[in-house]
Amino acid sequence: MKFQTILAAAAASTAVVGVAQAETYKIGITQNNVGVDSYQTTYEQAFVDAANANDRVEAVVLDAGGDVARQIAQMENLIQQGVDAIIIWPTNGEAVIPAVRKAKQADIPVVVTNSNIDEKGFDFISSFSGPDNIAQGATAAEVMCDRFKALGIADEAQIVEITGQPGYTTAIERSDGFTERLPEICPNVELVDSQPGDWNREKAQTVMEAFLTKYDDIDGVYAGDDNMGVGGLNAAMAAGREGITFVGATNFAVGYEAMANGDYWGSIYQSPVDDARAALETAVDILDGVDVPFLNYFETPAITQDNMGEFTKPVF
Amino acid sequence: MVALTRKDMGQFLARQGILVAFVLFMILFTLANDRFLDPDNIMGVVRSSAILGVMALGVTFVVISGNLDLSVGSMMSFSTIVVLDLHDKIGPALAIPAMFAMTLCLGAFIGFLVGYLKLNSLIVTLGMLSAIHGLTLTYSGGKNMDIDDMAGTWFGMFGRGDVLGIPTPILIFLSLAAVLGVMLAKTPFGRKVYAVGGNGTAATFSGIPRARVVFSCYLVSAFCVATAGLLQASRSMGSQNTVGQGLELEVLAAVILGGASLMGGAGTIFKTVIGVLILGFIQNGLLLVGLPFYAQYVVTWVIIILAVWLDIAAKRGGLWSPIA
Repeated sequence: MKFQTILAAAAASTAVVGVAQAETYKIGITQNNVGVDSYQTTYEQAFVDAANANDRVEAVVLDAGGDVARQIAQMENLIQQGVDAIIIWPTNGEAVIPAVRKAKQADIPVVVTNSNIDEKGFDFISSFSGPDNIAQGATAAEVMCDRFKALGIADEAQIVEITGQPGYTTAIERSDGFTERLPEICPNVELVDSQPGDWNREKAQTVMEAFLTKYDDIDGVYAGDDNMGVGGLNAAMAAGREGITFVGATNFAVGYEAMANGDYWGSIYQSPVDDARAALETAVDILDGVDVPFLNYFETPAITQDNMGEFTKPVF
Repeated sequence: MVALTRKDMGQFLARQGILVAFVLFMILFTLANDRFLDPDNIMGVVRSSAILGVMALGVTFVVISGNLDLSVGSMMSFSTIVVLDLHDKIGPALAIPAMFAMTLCLGAFIGFLVGYLKLNSLIVTLGMLSAIHGLTLTYSGGKNMDIDDMAGTWFGMFGRGDVLGIPTPILIFLSLAAVLGVMLAKTPFGRKVYAVGGNGTAATFSGIPRARVVFSCYLVSAFCVATAGLLQASRSMGSQNTVGQGLELEVLAAVILGGASLMGGAGTIFKTVIGVLILGFIQNGLLLVGLPFYAQYVVTWVIIILAVWLDIAAKRGGLWSPIA
């Protein structure tokens, strides 16, 4: 009698565990460097919120602090824990590939978020979820070109570029997208110089000061994100150089405000909240067996002084 | 008479090797790009160097006292973030002294550990580099700080304003350099700093309170860092948490370039200012010449090592001076 009860209880608990395993997913995420900028901080908060709101998801949230070695260790730890899926925001698109391969060998699907890993690693990942940075660069070129046409200087304009951290995939892709698209639509606009601002407003300001000394005639500035764009704007305002068209990317609150003030022309709207939700959704879809595109891009529309009313002010 | 003047000049040059190196580089860059000597450009470089420069002034005290300060970069991020945050909460008039007080507390803590507990300054400030960065991130929640109403505040005057056409950051940098230069060269406190760094044991026998002198040097450094943080915050009216990261090495490079000895006991504020300007003008010159980015790193450091070599060669009167 007693023995039967134990058996029944055991059977019942097995059944409960069985059901639970089928229904809830343990999803681990290792992020690049939360706290280094507001985008990544907002992303983490949005990810935690999205995971809490979904009863079927139990999230393990980790941050590599920008350290490749730590991120690889975190990947191995997540594999050890036997999570159902791993989301990775690579600290370095190449160095993390062996760790991603290990996850693949352990049959754990990997979703890359925000910035992609090197193509050599594509065989080991299930999907990339994030913005299309090449398309963003191209859109920024269109925004810049349209503005020059409206101002009637599309045949003579000279521009300079302030790029993100050298070697960082997002920085390279945005720059490539911009420099490839611009000559197609505005063949006479000349890109006279390009220097990195390292995603840093202060550095961008210093770089822009040198540009302003070096070139008497600057009509446009393209910056890899609004933080650097505003740094460039600060330099131009301090030097009293007016009439420069500033176009950035990843619209930040400061960029949005500068746009509202009429000092800054345009940017690309990219929400960390969309970014985080898309990553989690992609992982859940893959676990559910739903087909997702290998390159799962979310929308990043152009935002300028003309249409900014359609967008809410970024929270970062 | 002429011969005597020439000899004097030789002696002067030998003593001021770093100044000679500075003039040489200025001539080279001027030849490479005619805009280099443009007054706007020169003003711009000095203005951008002011933040690094203010920090280097304080670190000069610490280095002469025979210690190191590797925490100044993260401490500057801390000051910047704190003053920006408090600006919107309690207004600039209260935010600035509050930020100075908080930064001085950090400096006092480091000074206590190094001076009174006699812990190694390299380890203490390396640890504080991380700890203060963590403190900054905790304080800000990892978010960028921006001033809400940029147009309606006088806060921008420190970093963006000018007096009689001279940008305020330059004025603040140079006046602070003058005050600290006199303090180091002409006051009893300054002499004690050299004594403690030059020969600590001798200093003790002369009745100099070594711990208190070291402690005060870290306070001077923290004061300079707070000033730099104020300039930085006011200049960009907003900031990332990482704004000062990595600056500690540039600051140290400027101080050493100016001729301060890592062994302590040697260095002057004037030469630190020259070291700061050399760094600033090299970076600006390379940018103007349009050198590819990665090459700039290499060339910057080759030039710095050349400058240090020239300085030593001038002092010893020979280019070749192996360790005996």
